[in-house]
Amino acid sequence: MKWVTWKNIGVDRMACIWLIRRWIDPAAEFTFIPVGEKPLPERGEPFDIPGARYSHHGGHCTFYALFSEQNLQDPVLQRIAQLVDEADEVQEVTLEPAALGLDLICRGLSRISRDDFEALERGSLIYDALYAQLKADAAKSPRNENQSEDR
Amino acid sequence: MTNWLLLHYKLPNKPSALRVYIWRKLKRSGALLLHEAVWVLPDLPRTAEQIQWLAAEIEEMGGNAFYWQASSILSAQEESIVHQFQEQVDIVYSRLLKRLEKTKPDLQEISREYQQALSQDFFHSNLGLLVREKLTAKRGEKS
Repeated sequence: MKWVTWKNIGVDRMACIWLIRRWIDPAAEFTFIPVGEKPLPERGEPFDIPGARYSHHGGHCTFYALFSEQNLQDPVLQRIAQLVDEADEVQEVTLEPAALGLDLICRGLSRISRDDFEALERGSLIYDALYAQLKADAAKSPRNENQSEDR
Repeated sequence: MTNWLLLHYKLPNKPSALRVYIWRKLKRSGALLLHEAVWVLPDLPRTAEQIQWLAAEIEEMGGNAFYWQASSILSAQEESIVHQFQEQVDIVYSRLLKRLEKTKPDLQEISREYQQALSQDFFHSNLGLLVREKLTAKRGEKS
C-alpha cells in the first residue's frame, strides 16, 4: 500500500512509519509531498496531515491514531504512544521525561539525513531500540519476576 | 528580527470545558494573549508544530481557527513583545532563586519547575542560566 505524508519528518512521523512497516503493512511505500500541498495524491493513505483520518485527534498524535485504529494490543506500543503524544503535542499532564529527548533526537536525525528516506531508516532504528528496551524493562519488573517464581 | 506565529479562533459557546481546555493548552505552550484577542508565539520548529495541531484540534471541535506567520513592522513593538515573553519566565525564575537561598530548599521540586519554565524560555533568559548554575552547585551539597 502507498502512504503519503509531508516532507521533513520528525518524532511522530518517524514513529508512524516504523509502526506501519513493523506492524501494519510490511510492504508499505512512502511518498513525501511538500508541506501544505493540495490536492493530495489520489492513490495512497495520507497520514499526519491535518484533517486526515490518521492524524492528530483529541489531543493525541498520529501514532496514537494508528495504534488505536489498528487495535494493536501491545502495552509497549501504548507506552510509545504516550511518549510521542508528549513529544509532539502540548500536554497538561506529562508522565514521560524521555519525551523531550526523543523529540530532540528525531529532529537532529532529520537534520543530518540527506532526505526523508534516509531519515526514516535511521528513525526506525531509534524506535526498534526504544521498543526493545521498554519491553525488556517491563519484563524485568520485580512483580513479573515474583510471578515467574511462583509458578 | 523574529518571526511570529499568531492564532485566533472561535469555539462553540458550549460546552465551556472545551474553551478552558484550549486556553490551558495555549498557556502551557508559553503563548501570550494580546488584547484578549490574538495568541502569539515565536516561530520555532517546536512551537509551529504545536500550534498547527492545536488549530486542527479547534476545527475538529467545531470551531474555527486562523493560524498566521507574521513579522512585526515596528521594531519597538517587537521589543515589547520579546520583553513580555521574558517577563513571563523571569517571574518564575526569580521565585526559584529566592527558594534556592533558603536552607534546605526542595531541589527536586525546584528543578521540576525550572524545566517547565525552560520549555517556555524562548529568548534564553539570563536569570534562567543563574537558576541552572545554582542548582548545579547545590547538587550533592550536604546541608
